[in-house]
Amino acid sequence: MSNVMKVIAVSGIAVSMAQGAQARDLTIAGWGGNYQDAQREAYYTPFADSKGMAFTETTYLGGLAEVKAMADTGNVTWDLVTVEGADLQLGCDEGLFEVIPWEDIPTQNELNPNAINECGVGNVVIGNGYAYNAETFADAPQDWADFFDTEKFPGKRAVRNLPKWNLEYALLADGVAVDDVYDVLATPEGVDRAFAKFDQIKDDVQFWDAGSQPVEWLAAGNVVLSTAYNGRIITAKAEGQPLEFVWKNHIYSIDSWAIPTGAEHKDAALEFIAFVSEAEPQAKFSELMPYGPTNMKTAGMLADDIVKDLPTGKNTEDALFFSDAFWIDHSDALTERWNNWATQ
Amino acid sequence: MRNANGNRLATVMLLVMPLMIYLLFYLYPLLTVASQSVDNSTLYEQFQTLSEVVEEGSPDERAAALVADLVAADRRDLAEAARNLNQERSGFRSLLINSGKKAEEIPPTMEGLIAFDKRWGQQVYWDILARNIAPITWRHFQKASGFKPDGDGGFVQAEGDDIYLRIMVRTIVIATQVTLLTLLVGYPLAYAAANGKPRLATIVFMVVLLSFWTSILVRTSAWVVLLQTHGLLNNLLISLRIISEPLQLIFNRFGTVVAMTHVLLPFAILPIFNVMRTIPVSQSDASRSLGAGGVETFLRVYFPQTLRGVAVGGGTVFILALGFYITPALTGGPSDQMLSYYIADFVKKSLNWGMASVLSVMLFGCVVLILGLGSGAWLLFKSRKGGH
Repeated sequence: MSNVMKVIAVSGIAVSMAQGAQARDLTIAGWGGNYQDAQREAYYTPFADSKGMAFTETTYLGGLAEVKAMADTGNVTWDLVTVEGADLQLGCDEGLFEVIPWEDIPTQNELNPNAINECGVGNVVIGNGYAYNAETFADAPQDWADFFDTEKFPGKRAVRNLPKWNLEYALLADGVAVDDVYDVLATPEGVDRAFAKFDQIKDDVQFWDAGSQPVEWLAAGNVVLSTAYNGRIITAKAEGQPLEFVWKNHIYSIDSWAIPTGAEHKDAALEFIAFVSEAEPQAKFSELMPYGPTNMKTAGMLADDIVKDLPTGKNTEDALFFSDAFWIDHSDALTERWNNWATQ
Repeated sequence: MRNANGNRLATVMLLVMPLMIYLLFYLYPLLTVASQSVDNSTLYEQFQTLSEVVEEGSPDERAAALVADLVAADRRDLAEAARNLNQERSGFRSLLINSGKKAEEIPPTMEGLIAFDKRWGQQVYWDILARNIAPITWRHFQKASGFKPDGDGGFVQAEGDDIYLRIMVRTIVIATQVTLLTLLVGYPLAYAAANGKPRLATIVFMVVLLSFWTSILVRTSAWVVLLQTHGLLNNLLISLRIISEPLQLIFNRFGTVVAMTHVLLPFAILPIFNVMRTIPVSQSDASRSLGAGGVETFLRVYFPQTLRGVAVGGGTVFILALGFYITPALTGGPSDQMLSYYIADFVKKSLNWGMASVLSVMLFGCVVLILGLGSGAWLLFKSRKGGH
């Protein structure tokens, strides 16, 4: 019997030593696909090389489930994550993200004011619109009304399976002016109006979850139109796919870097954030991936044929800035209604 | 003698240990999920002063209690409580967080609260607080079933609120469709493997096991490639001039059922094959020599003996199909998603673990119920047969 106890004791010590010795590398969670590829080339590798440290990557698909689980169990396995604005605000209020010591970010005065948050540093401006396969239609779709017009443009259309963005698109298609979208959507009649618009394409809707799916489906002809991030579509186009992005009335939003509370490499993570907030790395990122910079000096460093594909300058003249505040308040009720609509 | 008894006890303990550990690891997560579904400690701990006066107190007493709770609250805990309350009414989150930030400046009277934000004058916010600050909550169960208290001790269901019940029914329907199809395809294959020539049996077995060992994700993606608009099947049919326009074979019920059937086929074939292997060929020969035809021999001698395998295989497939998530998500449309999809959705997108737990409990209850009915029917069937 005592032998058994010895074995148990020894293996217990071995296990605890193994855990203590297991120092993990700087761990970065990104959105996968060519978005993360570009981040790796412009940000992760140059930063890690300059510091002489290793890094690990993982994928993140939005929401706060992973970060919340890490905080609740005390087992924080990420040091950096690229989050959308609403999740950043929610997570910040609930203490899931570290507060950013802004005095450590030397370029803060060069950043777009929308990029400055208590717990996050805005890094990437994203255009949310829709795309089509140029080989499918002789006449190109022009605006949101066309996206919802199944007579002019018959076939399946893909949207992300949540009310965010989609309800705004529906109101824009229904003729609501860009400046009025969130005011209308805050009223019950406005919500009815948006869902009525979606009723028109109900039989042709297909849901995507990962940002890479619209590209795959449009290229394979599984859907004829799909809402998408501009970056994915324009990169695919550069790789030879016959895809086009519709810039008219797109919605632009900002993705930010945040540090999960209690992250092991918090200091390195902060240095990383300071590095990616500089103008030059952002220019390199925008050259690789057509998303806009948050450093206002970056646009001047980029060639015109790159700027024309970014959610910046001329492209944002008729665009809508995504309201995180609206969605933080209304997400629960509208998600419930959306799920209800989707399962009818 | 005493020593021998002690040793025997130790042996028994050692033998029972794996079972106990298994039960513990099996029951613990189940109980955690079940308690999550009614647990309301986030809200209860936040509003302890208010919970004492929320039913009977005067408006000013309630206001004073709320302000006291807000002053005492930790900012992070309050944000979590506010997120939970926002599930009941849009905007409650920002109302509570804003009030919490300025709590020390708000006069602890109803007038003071309303002067700070006029929404505190609306009864609906106080009603929501009153309903949701007990240590235990049924609101997730009410939302999942769609039945809400009507105020007179009864329950009513509003139109459209039965969404999760409808999804539960859809989950059972899809699982049934898949089970039937799996048995229809699996039975002949198992028969071929059990009674065919050795070479045929080997081929069938290799194919079944090979797909059994391949990841679900790979097999599901393969069906997407096969069935998509310009996929292999559509291209083949078009090149053979059987159809002129591609058929919609994926992102609908057809694609879901086909892919799930393929993924689950080995779970039906293996148990049926196992039972078929034990049936002596001489029985069929005897039946034939006594004058029964091929069909009658199969129906009266062979088939009844394989029913045990069919029940085990079909039952396994059905239970596994009920919990499917990734295959319908990749091959189905909006109206083919099963309950697991919504459980994942609640955990990942809205951080609502209460609803996720309730839906899990629903799914688990359903499995237990169906298993109970199934084994009841089987016992009845067997006792009937025994009586002959």
